[in-house]
Order: sequence, then C-alpha cells, then structure tokens
Amino acid sequence: MKKRDAPTNSPRLSIHTSEEKFALALVTPAFLITVLIVLIPLLYAFYLSFNRAEVIVVGGQGGLVTEFSGLRNYLYFLSSADFWYSVRTTLYFTVASLAVELVLGIIVALLLNEEFRGRGLVRTLLILPWAVPTVVNARMWGLIFEPHAYGALNGLLQTLHLLGPERTINYLAPIPLFQNAPLLGELTSWLGVTRGLTWIIVADTWKTLPVVALLLLAGLQSIPLDLYSAAKVDGANAWQRFWLITLPLLRPIILIVLVYRTMELFRVFDIIYILMAYTIPVLGVVTFQQSFVFGNFGKGAAIAFLIGLLVLLLANGYIRLIDLEERE
Amino acid sequence: MKRVLWLNWFSLLALAAILLSACGTPTPTVAPLPTEDETLVLHALYMNQAGYSEEVLQEMAQQFHADNPGVGINFTFVKYDELHDKIVTSAAASTATYDVILLDLIWTAEFGHKGYVIPLDARITEEQKADIAPAIFDAFIYNGQLWAFPFLANFQNMFYNLAHLQAAGFDGPPATLEEWYAQMVALKEQGIVKYPYIDSWNRKEGLVCDYVRTAAQFGGDLFDENGQPIMDQGAGLRALQFMRRLLDEELADPAALTTDEPGAMNALISGAATFNTNWTFVRGNMLDPEKSNIVAAARTGLLPTAEGVAAPAGTVSGFQGLAVMANSDKQAAAWRWIQFATSAEVQQQHLESEFPIWSSLQNSEQEQEINPDAGFYATNLANAHHRPKVAHYPEVSAIIQEEVHDCLLQIISPEEATAEMVQRINALEE
Repeated sequence: MKKRDAPTNSPRLSIHTSEEKFALALVTPAFLITVLIVLIPLLYAFYLSFNRAEVIVVGGQGGLVTEFSGLRNYLYFLSSADFWYSVRTTLYFTVASLAVELVLGIIVALLLNEEFRGRGLVRTLLILPWAVPTVVNARMWGLIFEPHAYGALNGLLQTLHLLGPERTINYLAPIPLFQNAPLLGELTSWLGVTRGLTWIIVADTWKTLPVVALLLLAGLQSIPLDLYSAAKVDGANAWQRFWLITLPLLRPIILIVLVYRTMELFRVFDIIYILMAYTIPVLGVVTFQQSFVFGNFGKGAAIAFLIGLLVLLLANGYIRLIDLEERE
Repeated sequence: MKRVLWLNWFSLLALAAILLSACGTPTPTVAPLPTEDETLVLHALYMNQAGYSEEVLQEMAQQFHADNPGVGINFTFVKYDELHDKIVTSAAASTATYDVILLDLIWTAEFGHKGYVIPLDARITEEQKADIAPAIFDAFIYNGQLWAFPFLANFQNMFYNLAHLQAAGFDGPPATLEEWYAQMVALKEQGIVKYPYIDSWNRKEGLVCDYVRTAAQFGGDLFDENGQPIMDQGAGLRALQFMRRLLDEELADPAALTTDEPGAMNALISGAATFNTNWTFVRGNMLDPEKSNIVAAARTGLLPTAEGVAAPAGTVSGFQGLAVMANSDKQAAAWRWIQFATSAEVQQQHLESEFPIWSSLQNSEQEQEINPDAGFYATNLANAHHRPKVAHYPEVSAIIQEEVHDCLLQIISPEEATAEMVQRINALEE
C-alpha cells in the first residue's frame, strides 16, 4: 500500500493552506467589525428583550439598568390589539408600495430599455430622487401636501382649475379610505388604510422608484435579443413578447427586488414619523416610541425582534419562490 | 502577506481595546474650571424650532467666552421632537454627550426621578427666587427639588386677525369663550373665512398642550393636585366637547388634525384663518413683512375663559429650563454658562427675541416699548396651567394624544375618549 505523504510535504496542499490563511487574513477584519457592530449589539438587544430596561444615572455615571422579566415584553405586544393593528397597517404600506413600485418600475425600465435620443441623460436623471435624503424627501412632500391653498399640490390643482378657488384637499388626513362605503369602509378602517398613508406611499415611491427601475433595467438588458426576434418571426405581438418572454426572464430580478424592498418597507420609519408623527402607528414608529420616548428599551427590543421575525417569514416565502424558480 | 497578518493582529487588538474600554469606563470626575490658557468645550443641546434663535445663542456664547476665555460652547441644535431622545441617549452613556440641556417642563419629573440631571437648589440665590414668578419655578420642581433653571417663559397666547374681525362687525377680540365662539360663527356665516380657527391638533405633544389650555379656559385641569386624572368630568370633559364642536361645525380647520404649531401659524399669517392659539414665537413671525401677509392686522390677545370662570385668561405653560447632566464631567463650567445665559442682564439684551423670565424685566419700560403686547403676555402667563408632573409622563401624554385625536377624528365621542383616558392612565399607575 502506498503511504500517504504528510500534508506538510505536499507543495500543493501547502499552497492551499497558505491561500486559506491569506483568505482568512483578508476576511478577519471585516468579520471582527461585523461582530462588533452587528452581532454584539444584536445579542445585547436580544438579551434586553427579556428584561425590563431603562436608562438611569447613578453616582454621575449613566447606563442601562435591567431586570429579568422573561417573555413579558413579547406577550405584552402579542396580546395587544394595538400591536396587531400596527402589523396590518405596516403590511398595507409594504404590499401597496411594492405593487406600485413594481408596476411603475417595470414600465420605466421597459421605456429606458428602448433606443431613443437622450436615453443616457434620462437614465442619469432618473437616479436623482434616490439621491435625496429620506428626511429631505419627507419635508419636501410635507410642503407639497400642505392642506391649504398655499400648499404646492393644492396650488397647482387650483391653477389648473381642477380644484375650485375655495377647495383644498387635506392629503394627509388620517381618515380611512371609502369610510362611508358599507363593508369596504370597515375593512379599510380595520387595515389602517387611510388617505394620509396612501399619499405617503406616493411620496415614498417617488424616491425609491429609480432604484427599482434601474435594477429591473439591468435584468432586462440580460435578456437575449434573439428571443424577441424569434418571437416576432413566430408572429408574437408586443403584449405576448412581454408576457411570455420579458416577464418570465425578469422573475429572478423581480424576486430580488421584492426581498430587498420588503425588508426596507416593513421597517419604514422616517417618512411616516416626519409627516405624521404618531398618527400612523407602523411598527417602526411604535418601536421608536417604546424605546426612546417611553424609555422602555426592553419592550423596544422585543418589538424590534418581532419585526425581524415577521420580515424573516416574508423573506422565507420569497426565498422559497427563488428556489422554485431555480429548480424550474 | 505579512502586512495583511499584521493588519489582522491590529484589528484584534483594536477590538479588544474597544471592548475593554466599554467594560471599564471610569466614573467621570467633575473637572475644575479651566484657567485662562486652557480651553474647555461645553456641549450644549438646544432646539432650533422656537425660543432664542441660533444666532442669538451664538452671540450669547461669544459674550460668555469673552468673559470666560477658558470656556467655549459647542451647540447642537435639533428639533423639539428630537430633544428628549438625544437627552436619554446622552444619559445612557457613562459620560454625558451633552453637558447642558434644554429641559422642557414635562420632563422634570422623569429626569429628576431617573437622575439624568443634577438638583440646583443649593446654587440659586434668594434674589433670583424673588424675581421669578413661582409658577415658573414650580414647573421645574419635582420631589421638592429644582432640576432646571428657567430659561424660556414660553406659553400660549391668542393671535388674531383684526381686519377679519372688523369686517365681521366686531371691534376687538372676544372677552369670553362664548363670545369667541359667537365671533367664529359670524366670521363663517359672513364668508370672511372658510375656517375661522386653526390649531395644531396633529397627534403630538402639541395636542396635549391645546387640550390642557382649553381646559384652563374652562377654569380647570386634567389632573387633580395628587396627579390623578380627572378629565372625564368638569373642565376636562367640557374642553374636549368644545374642541370637537368646533370641528363638527367647521369653525376649526380640519387641517388642524395634521398640522403642527408652525403649520398652524402659517395659516394665520397667510390670512387663511382669523384665530390661532399658539406659542410666543408666532408674534415675531406675524409682524415680519417678509413672512406675513397680515402685518397690519396681526394682534395678540388674552385667551378668553368661559363665563363664570374667575380667571381673566387661561393658558398652558411650555416653560423650558437649562439643566446640567448628572453624568457630565464639566458641571461647574456648565452651571456657570447657565447662570450667564439665564441672567437678567443677558435676557435684557434680547427682549426683541423672547419674553423674559424675570418679573423685573417683564414689567420694565424697555419691555413695554419693545413689546406693546407685554400686558397680555403677563396676564396669560399669570394664568398658565401646567401639564402633569409624573415620572411616566411620555406614556400619559401618548394616551391623551391618541384618545383626543380619535375623538377629534369623530371616531369616538368626548365622553368615551375622556373615560378611556382615565381608565388607561390609572392602569399605568398600577
């Protein structure tokens, strides 16, 4: 029987080990930073979620004082009707925003995928809203939605005679959509579907549509043009080419956009807090209120983990879809 | 390769150093005041929404630095809504991020109870106490101790458009709450304005202030002397019924439900509304031709009380004080800055900006010349009601905001809203 060489005597294995070390050396700083700024705070927040935790200053030194409370923080939310209302409202914001962003994103991407003069410039300009900071975007839309005649949108509609001189619209009014319609009004009230939240979806979409459109555009450009040529030869019209070629081949990128945007939308805070304060209690606003306004850091951590769990469930659904896609 | 490994070790060491420093941060010691050739920088947290402007505060800081060459002031200006969170975060650090903070009176109990700020009783003099109205000092007292020195004498006033009133056939502002209501009805019926009244009734702290103020106009409070909620009866209930009625009858602008204080002021100074009950910052804006359409017609007045209420006015306080963080390591210098910024001498130089906290300045000829409305201010101030001083005030406030807002949105009745408030606030106590 041939005796195996010791690993140290094999030049190939030695190179392999040396490459592994080099790779490890490259990865370690990033790993350590991740541990420091992600993993340790995450574990600490998880610990806090099982505690009653508040900030106090004793003897000139500030800090967080904790007292173990078991599952009480989680049960507080899970048994609260307000929490489930927040879940429904956040889900509406997420699902409605996603639908609008995807439909408009595909239309914009299809347009930008066509040859036309100045296409490069339009593509560059498209990214501008994405570059606007969220807070600035919220303030800007606050001025646009101002409910009096001097509000930008009301002023525009009055100038165009689409609104009478005495008429103004309170776009951000927290009243349920179709509130006077039987059943439908009750459903919108139950879901937290208000006029204010719906207009906020418009404001948020204006900012995030460019990135969705650009991601989809990248997906469109990877579709071989031969497929369209062949389809044309076979007599497929534009709708059939879109439905039978573009959409199926865009599915992987659509799923990526869905995962990415769901995570962002479900954690929404800035734009809603700035425009509506606590009027629309999406989960992000409730988390902020519990932690930094009430000073209940244990409850704040617990609801943050519940949000994480809900996002994980949604992401899991998407990942299964992606798996299914790959198997097909 | 060696370089990468070296970087690796460096990262490990840095991580270890950070973790060790986090575990073993020493208790901050109180630094002595610096000598002239040393520079100590105080970090001060202020708001840039109302009160003294950034320019005025920077001017004060330069003046202070000239008198105290070793001490500089580094301001952080945030919106009012961000103040509380910044202070809590600063308190959570072993050494404070901010040495001096602007303390809204509603946080007195919370910050005193949790030890965020130091008591100032031993540092104030009898002369100072004698020249500041007890109502102002009282706002910053919790458990018998003073936690902040009064800085801004902020309170709500009635601001109105005299031209609108004259066009409706009135000579001046209302003397009673009932007269105010009658004027609003007349203004609407005559088509002078669509909505005569605008207020800041979005779901924020301002809504609680407006509710407390309306209750004061009915001669009462939302809480009794022992801090127990009583808004389901008397003035509290009548106040909410009145607010709701103004919306139901379209006398109050429904946009109020999504409007904050600056937004409500804009409706007044644009000429869209006749009345706005708001904080003192409105006066400067409504008289500024660059911002206001109603400069000639803009007036300040008393907040009228209901018939049968003995007080000539009823309003809500929004006093703000300066406090020293308990985990600051520059407490002596911080107190020196507070003494300077709140002094009568400094406030006297900025009477155009703010109504002074000092009684001697409020009644001075200089103030009367600068602010012809000082008499109204003084009467309103003397009849200011405070929001409750309870350690868990943010939660109490959130309950009031939610129930009052739901009532004004016509989801629940005033009776249901007030009963719900009492029940939920009592449940918090348990």
